[in-house]
Amino acid sequence: MTTETMTDQRTVTLEVFRYHPDTDSEPSFQSYEVPYREEWVVLDALNWLKDEVDGTLSYRWSCRMGVCGSCGTMVNGYPRLTCNAFLREFLPGPIRVEPLRGFPVERDMVTVLDDFMEKLTDVKPYIIREEEQSLDEGEYRQSPSQLADYKQFSMCINCTLCYAACPVYEHEDDFLGPAVLALAQRYNLDSRDQGNEQRQQLIWADEGIWDCTFVGECSEVCPKDVDPAAAIQQAKVDATNNFFISFLPFTPPGMGR
Amino acid sequence: MRPSNEPFWWAMFGAGGMITALLLPVLIILTGFVVPAGGVDFNQLDTLFNNPLVRLIILGVAFLSFFHAAHRIRHTLKDLGLRSVATPLAVLCYAAALAGTIWAALVVL
Amino acid sequence: MPGPLPRAKSNVWWNRGWPYRVFLLRELSAVAVAVYIVLLLVLVSQVREGRGAFNDHLDLLESPLFWIIHAVILGFAQLHTSTWFRAVPKSMRVKLGGRVVPPEAMIFGMYALWVGASLVVLAAFLVEW
Ligand code: SF4
Ligand code: FES
Repeated sequence: MTTETMTDQRTVTLEVFRYHPDTDSEPSFQSYEVPYREEWVVLDALNWLKDEVDGTLSYRWSCRMGVCGSCGTMVNGYPRLTCNAFLREFLPGPIRVEPLRGFPVERDMVTVLDDFMEKLTDVKPYIIREEEQSLDEGEYRQSPSQLADYKQFSMCINCTLCYAACPVYEHEDDFLGPAVLALAQRYNLDSRDQGNEQRQQLIWADEGIWDCTFVGECSEVCPKDVDPAAAIQQAKVDATNNFFISFLPFTPPGMGR
Repeated sequence: MRPSNEPFWWAMFGAGGMITALLLPVLIILTGFVVPAGGVDFNQLDTLFNNPLVRLIILGVAFLSFFHAAHRIRHTLKDLGLRSVATPLAVLCYAAALAGTIWAALVVL
Repeated sequence: MPGPLPRAKSNVWWNRGWPYRVFLLRELSAVAVAVYIVLLLVLVSQVREGRGAFNDHLDLLESPLFWIIHAVILGFAQLHTSTWFRAVPKSMRVKLGGRVVPPEAMIFGMYALWVGASLVVLAAFLVEW
């Protein structure tokens, strides 16, 4: 990227995926010229289009700062948050904007997330206690080292970029997928949680971790450095240890989880 | 959802992956380039491959490598679109690995 | 009314970009591994047959075709080794004194092990015993 192109460029072309379920039988691409500003992200360009050119354009967004996870979109074929994909990364254009891959499309860039949401609730992504500690016993305490065990996996914002990067999710309808498995692992690794066994049946099945062939792109596209691929690999190690231990007539010390 | 027997195959995949990652590059250089170039004479190879411990190691490496390869090829073919025949594919791959291991046993016997 | 577009599936997903192509090559290294073990076992069996069989086999190994085959296999083996070592710290989180061992340190450890194992194999082939 040279300074020249940055100052010379007045507009940039956006090729936007359009699909309206009531009127279109096929999706199509529509090209728009949008003003180029150095500090604009793709989301700014989409908002400008919706305000100034075409009010029917549909896409999700909310926080504009990489926190809400709702603005995930394919930008030039790569899963991105439109709120942190700067126009200047894609000069001189055109910039192709499409809905995230691997999901049904409701309309334009709006994907259907039902499958993801169902799978997410299935793995019980919350702290499960066999018995709640009473309030006067105080909070559940945790050391920094125990926090470090799961912290990375807790940064997920459910943006589903990792799903769009995953060829296994694309082809295997039942596969739980990267973020769901990373979140299951996040709670399994939390010292306050006692729900491992309830999650195991689901995540240790073929449709859980074992469909994953460690392509690894989920971790590359993740805007929060969650590293779901690592979470899945670590869960595979746990499941494998457990598998072989279950044949032993005794439980080795420290393996009782 | 039924429990998976994948841990068993994955463990062999992992062990074989580790052993091949450590040993294959140097072995290939030796048997693929140094031996044909005359860098190792027959007597040396003869002593080496007739040593009982070396024979046992070769058998172990062959066994784990074949099952490593079978597992990986099986999943790659699945990823490339053979999902509808996943079960026969798995049987075929692991059966080939087993046959290879039996052959390896006959070779070092 | 058509309703939502069904999810699109493509069997050429591996051609979507370099990370996916490299992934496929990494997985195909398994073919090279299997082929090499077969070649190794053939060598072992020919050596154990005796000097005559080994010399015949040498003629074959000296041909350009086998040189190329070994070169390709070596390339895949090296890809397997480097990707495998990089995957190790992802699969195992080792903690020392409450702190996670950095991935770079684990990868370095794997390469150290690799050098050691290679030296042992080299010695077995090249040092008279
Ligand atoms: S793991 Fe990363 S890419 Fe996947 S949903 Fe969470 S934040 Fe998004
Ligand atoms: S708008 Fe919230 S993450 Fe992009």
